[in-house]
Amino acid sequence: MLAVLRRWWPLALIALAALWLRVHDLGRRPMHADEANQGVKAGELLESGRYAYDPRDHHGPTLYYAAQPVAWLRGEKSLAALSETTLRLVPALAGTAAVVLLALFAATLFPTPPARPPWVAMTAAAFMAVAPPAVYYSRYFIQETLLVTFTLGAFLSVMQWWRTGKPAWAASTGVAIGLMQATKASAPLLLALGLVAALPAWRRGGTGTPSAPNTRRLRPAALLALATAILTAGLFFTSFGSHFAGLTDAFGAYARAADRFSAGPTGHEKPWGYYLQLLTWTRSGGLVWHQLALMALALVGAVIGFRAMFASRGTGTNSALTWPALYTVMLLVAFSSFAYKTPWHAVHFVPSLALLAASTLAAIASLRTGIWLALPLAIVTIATLYQQTVRVSFQRPADARNPYAYVHSSPDVLKVSALAADARHSFPGEPIRVISDEYWPLPWYLRRERGVGFWHTPPEVCDGALIITSAAQADTVRARLTHRYRETFLGLRPGVICAVFIREP
Amino acid sequence: MPIMQRKLTLLLATLALVAGAQAADDKIALKVEMPKPLFAGTPRPVQLANLEPPATKRPDILVSKDTKVLSRGKKVTSSDSLPVIGELAFITDGDKSGTDGTYVELGPGTQWVQIDLEAPAKVAAVAVWHFHSQARVYHDVVIQIADDAAFTKNVRTLFNDDDDNSSKLGKGSDLAYIETNNGRVVDGKGQVARYVRLYSNGNTSDELNHYCEVEVFGSPAN
Repeated sequence: MLAVLRRWWPLALIALAALWLRVHDLGRRPMHADEANQGVKAGELLESGRYAYDPRDHHGPTLYYAAQPVAWLRGEKSLAALSETTLRLVPALAGTAAVVLLALFAATLFPTPPARPPWVAMTAAAFMAVAPPAVYYSRYFIQETLLVTFTLGAFLSVMQWWRTGKPAWAASTGVAIGLMQATKASAPLLLALGLVAALPAWRRGGTGTPSAPNTRRLRPAALLALATAILTAGLFFTSFGSHFAGLTDAFGAYARAADRFSAGPTGHEKPWGYYLQLLTWTRSGGLVWHQLALMALALVGAVIGFRAMFASRGTGTNSALTWPALYTVMLLVAFSSFAYKTPWHAVHFVPSLALLAASTLAAIASLRTGIWLALPLAIVTIATLYQQTVRVSFQRPADARNPYAYVHSSPDVLKVSALAADARHSFPGEPIRVISDEYWPLPWYLRRERGVGFWHTPPEVCDGALIITSAAQADTVRARLTHRYRETFLGLRPGVICAVFIREP
Repeated sequence: MPIMQRKLTLLLATLALVAGAQAADDKIALKVEMPKPLFAGTPRPVQLANLEPPATKRPDILVSKDTKVLSRGKKVTSSDSLPVIGELAFITDGDKSGTDGTYVELGPGTQWVQIDLEAPAKVAAVAVWHFHSQARVYHDVVIQIADDAAFTKNVRTLFNDDDDNSSKLGKGSDLAYIETNNGRVVDGKGQVARYVRLYSNGNTSDELNHYCEVEVFGSPAN
């Protein structure tokens, strides 16, 4: 027990720091349209117990189901009671788990004597704990962080099976893969890249670890993993046996995605170098966003990893670096090749970048007196990542210049709940109308009110206690109002302004 | 009324009219130099009742011929004395282009900036450019003038679009407006003051407050 404590106490501290960064002040940032949409789905599941997978513009069900126990524990039993904090606790806890999983994975990849803390693993975990994209999207009610966590779970399980050959690890791999698939349809891409990146190690007959591969038991282990993956994903997609059409819809998601991308521009097309720039250095509106120190260290690690791959016989640590180097480069090429790009995909790069950067520091520390260079480099890297995370996640979480705050809702939307409650108090029998082509995240902020209706075009009767309309339809709506209203406006997101009509006595 | 007295009254009235007409002839329309527009793409159409249509030509403000920019290079103070982006000096440096590095960003909530004209002046107009590279409306814009720096003596409001008094400066009835390169030019009516203060309370895009430039037009009070 003492040996375990001696080995893992740094990880406990890192995990605590990661948790604090991920759960502190979770409710402050306004809900992004995607968060609001998924929050309403999670709330409906909470209220009715019903969920049906919908492949049209929606991802897998794990996010909604994961929100249920958190809501129960926090005593929230309906959509109206559900809070932003409750929803965001799901990715926050998953993000903290991802930090721990990365440490365990790294400790397997770069083994150390049992009595000593695995410093490469600890450093990689520390980098991930404070990396801006990892923290930001761990505080964001979307699927990406869950997918990262399940991916790390799958990679760790595969490594453990590789080392021990125990069927339990094969089953664990299957469960993690099933959860990945039930989270996002991009799961197979991540798995394929992870597998291809492992091929050089496989061909060498080792991963750089002292353990030999258990190739003799590969077929039964693969079958066990496949069965548990199908079972796990199937349970979620069928809503735990109550909606079997969800299974066919899960496959149909790929056809729908192909249709969507072939139909023309989606509005999310970006240049090839988008992710590289996002991860390295970008400037917007006088503010600089960067991970320069992490990227510089990771670049050195990647060079070492590729050199080891092409060397006739790689040494232990260097050879183990081949996997994260290959995985990162292939991930970058794959994600950059798609014209469709969104900043939350950046979070998938963080674990392997952290591994490469930590390995570089380990390589420096292994030199004579190298520790005196590695230590300050580690401190500078963590400090700059932390400074950036504070800016990204706490100081400017919804700022249009924040490269991770993608088409984010304006803080103005936080006024909607109070406006609706006041209007309802003054005119209890009158409806609240939202008349606009675009209205998310307003349904989330109006979730506590009854008698709320949404229209894409102005109805014949527009009167109500409160009317929120798009600027383009404001004239038509105004012409159809028959009572006295005070008019104001609110920003839905940068550049998108709504008119608000507040009924007056 | 005796005939002489009536004639005298008529003469005085005629003289007053002639003098008034002459005074009007001395006035010219204020010309404010506007920066280039910065909207990168086509802005979304925004037409709200309490918002001026974007292309509205506002009436000219008539000012005396000796009117000039009084605020250029003058000291600016603010409720946010340490802005994260830009400097308070940007507000009176004459650069109203609105590009990065030419505006100052103040913190969230109600914030003000204040210009000390260094001497009492007849304020003909105040022009303000908050931020014009994106369609946005600044909330609760209030422009005041006063005789003292603490804004306790002879405070007068030139503009107020805070329709629900959320900034606690009194309810205003002026129209909110979308920021463009034309900024907003407010009539000062030649009122004498030394200090000009401008308030805002975030905007429709974020909670922050921005200023590219403020120009105070007028002439010395004496």
